[in-house]
Formats: sequence, C-alpha cells, structure tokens
Amino acid sequence: MSKVAITVNGTEPKNIFPPFILGSSAVASGDELIIFFCPGGAPAMVKGVIEKIEGKGLPNLLELYEGVRNLGGKIYVCELALENKDLKKEDFRDGVEIIGATTFINEIKDATITFSF
Amino acid sequence: MAIKNLSTLGLKCPQPILKVAILVPQMSPGDILEVVADCESFPKDIRAWAEKTGKTLLFCNTDETGKHTAQIQF
Repeated sequence: MSKVAITVNGTEPKNIFPPFILGSSAVASGDELIIFFCPGGAPAMVKGVIEKIEGKGLPNLLELYEGVRNLGGKIYVCELALENKDLKKEDFRDGVEIIGATTFINEIKDATITFSF
Repeated sequence: MAIKNLSTLGLKCPQPILKVAILVPQMSPGDILEVVADCESFPKDIRAWAEKTGKTLLFCNTDETGKHTAQIQF
C-alpha cells in the first residue's frame, strides 16, 4: 500500500473536492492518507463550511470527509493559519489537527503519491 | 458465511467504493457483499478495489438500465 500526501491552498470547490475525492479513494483502497491545509485552504476546515460546498454531479463532500476520517485518513491544518486567518483551534471541525510544517514534512517523507490543490 | 447487501444507487464516485470499504470491518472471511450501483465508473472501480485490497470479485454485471450488481467475497 502507498502513502498519499495532499496539500490544499484554496477554499473554492476546485480546491476542496479533489483532495476528498482522491483521498477517500485512497483510504478506501487501504492507502495511508495525509491532507494538509495551508493557510489559504484552512478556512474550509472550519465547522460548518464543507456542508455548504456543492457541485453539480459531484459527490456529497461531508460524506467523503466522514469516510476519510472513518478509514484513518489524517487531516491537518497548518498552524500559521490561526493568526493568518484569525481562527482559533476550536473553530475547526472535529478530527482536524493543527500542526507545523516541519511535522508535516517529516510525516510525508515516505509518501510516494502527492497532489496539490 | 453471510451475504450482505449494499445499495449505492444515486451515489457518485467514489462514494460507492467508500461505502464498501467502511463495511469491511463487519465482514468475515468467506462472507459475500452484494453491491448495487448506478455510478458510471463502478465496474472498473470495484475491480481495481478488489485487486488492490486482495478481495475476490465474483462478478459485476450491468443490466439494460445501467444498474451494476457486483458480488465481492471476503
């Protein structure tokens, strides 16, 4: 099985759907998954946001998010997003962890599949 | 050996496969999961999933309405 690392640096549907579509496919097939939200993408992980993101003919984002969590996918937000976006740790969804870039880089050192959105 | 049924009708890729994967802990060796789906990519996706996860895809048929029925043995 592979390790998949995905970075997200935007909050538009084009930034948010691909990591959860590809990420949920990866964890469903037994791959390890880490999604890292840079400050530009971090607001999407605030409570209640993905519930409002929809796309014609696209799957339900909340179900993909829950599926990723259920199957052990890790969802990280860069700690720089807190001050940069005026957010607090408790603003983020359950299951989201705030980490620094060094920790992320260390965790993905053996990732063989990477994407950026 | 049990046979379980899962309907994913109306769900888009990759939700059908995600629902199959979430059921895995409930399945015992030898159990069969029958999945119905109408997502276009399902036949190829379920083959790929079975191959990667080491499960046996017994069959995946498509009827004239585009509905796919697959059986996977665990």
